[in-house]
Amino acid sequence: MLQLNNITKSFGGVFEPVLKGINLLLKEGEFCTVIGANGSGKSTLMKIISGEYSADSGEIRRCGEVSQVVQDVNMGTIPSMTMLENVALSRMKTPRFSFYKRHKNEIADKIKSLNIGLEKFIDQPLSVLSGGQRQTIAILMAINSGRKILLLDEHTSALDPKMQKLLMEYTVKSVREQRITTLMITHNLEDAVKYGDRLIMMHKGRIVADLKGREKSELKIQSLPEMFRKFEDQNSVYDGGADVR
Amino acid sequence: MSADLIMSGLQQGLILAIIAYGVMIPFRFLDFADMTADGAYPLGGAICAVCLSSGIHPAAAIPVSMICSGIMGICTALIYLKFRINSMLAGVILSAMAYSVNLRIMGKPNIPLFDCGGLFSANIYANMLIIFALLVGCIIPFAVFLRTDFGLRFRAVGLNPNLAKLQGIGVEKYTVFGLFFAGALFGLAGSLIVQLQSYMDAGIGVGMLIHGLAALMLGEAVSGNATLNRQLAAPLTGALLYQQAQGVALSLGLAPSDLKFFTGSIVLTVIALKKTGKIFGR
Repeated sequence: MLQLNNITKSFGGVFEPVLKGINLLLKEGEFCTVIGANGSGKSTLMKIISGEYSADSGEIRRCGEVSQVVQDVNMGTIPSMTMLENVALSRMKTPRFSFYKRHKNEIADKIKSLNIGLEKFIDQPLSVLSGGQRQTIAILMAINSGRKILLLDEHTSALDPKMQKLLMEYTVKSVREQRITTLMITHNLEDAVKYGDRLIMMHKGRIVADLKGREKSELKIQSLPEMFRKFEDQNSVYDGGADVR
Repeated sequence: MSADLIMSGLQQGLILAIIAYGVMIPFRFLDFADMTADGAYPLGGAICAVCLSSGIHPAAAIPVSMICSGIMGICTALIYLKFRINSMLAGVILSAMAYSVNLRIMGKPNIPLFDCGGLFSANIYANMLIIFALLVGCIIPFAVFLRTDFGLRFRAVGLNPNLAKLQGIGVEKYTVFGLFFAGALFGLAGSLIVQLQSYMDAGIGVGMLIHGLAALMLGEAVSGNATLNRQLAAPLTGALLYQQAQGVALSLGLAPSDLKFFTGSIVLTVIALKKTGKIFGR
């Protein structure tokens, strides 16, 4: 569960607040996609949830620790470490004076479950892999960490369409299986419509639309640009309900 | 170059290797430019000299020196972490302060220890064996530690601090530990050189960091640092080669006072080769 109550955030008094009273409740295991133009406050919202920024006002409640995968592959992995070491690093909630190589078989099985043949690189540094392959490992690490909240910030945007699809399907399958509450920022409207239980649209620091259930499943990608235009010149505010205003 | 010069170079090289390991830990594992060597090394020597002149057994003086120099490493870490002072500046300030502390500890600028005994004798092979045993006694447990869950986290702190924080790794805790261990190694080297020379001078620390760094970089150029084993082999390889290179320079007629220029040239050459991709180690 992840709950945000009336979160506001600004960067200096002369600028308009980046977030203006955000209210949001995500249930355990819910997968929510966030769309919005640049500067709408999506990434600031993520950083407040992850704890990187503190909110000016409001309350945030998290059901567990937060893991995060961002667009920059180098942020989520350590390229000079081997694949085994990277994945082993993510599984240590309680580190011990035991040798991480003892878990090699268990880690190899996890990598094998990705079904893209990466297991043969288990003892190679991640720097030998492509960006897409490394991002797949970053997702595996985030999911493997046992944390209950996952934040994805345009994590597939630097990848080719085939790799994007593969990575999205793996992400959705894994978070479903482990009931991880997930918030995903994307500029890919097709992904926003196709994946997740819920879709949030942000505009000028506010949540202006929140679609779930039938509304979300019946949403057509063609209708999204029109919705964006609708909110362009009006100050519609979402206050926790499910309707587009 | 005479056999005596080669053997003496190997002996000095083993002590320099301890310093190079102390330099490697913050620089390579914590991404922390630690300048404490110039202060922690003579601090270890000063403590050891005072212990020996007070009649304390030479073997007992070594851990005392290591702990005191290790505490100096902790001070550098805390100044950096708590006051957000640049790591280099923190190390330089503390090293300058340590000079006064060392003079206070010693009570005078130098202490002759010719009548105080020590671990070493006239047998250079026995001396090398003792230094090598102490070096291995420190580095093997560290190498084992690096292969544990804790060691993996320790390495992650320097390689990707942001990821380390995201993974819930206590970056501050590991930084303090790393700088304590590095400081303890400087203290070990300081106490060994004092016992080997039977003499302590307050100025022995000047330029030690650059010697250690030169040895580390030379070792990385030769053995590489792409894997953990190569990284761990680099300080020893580099220190032994570096001391032999100094021996060659001396035998070619270079004055001892020219060695600092020689050292700086080695560091700059290795950096230049690395930047231009002409380095041979991986």
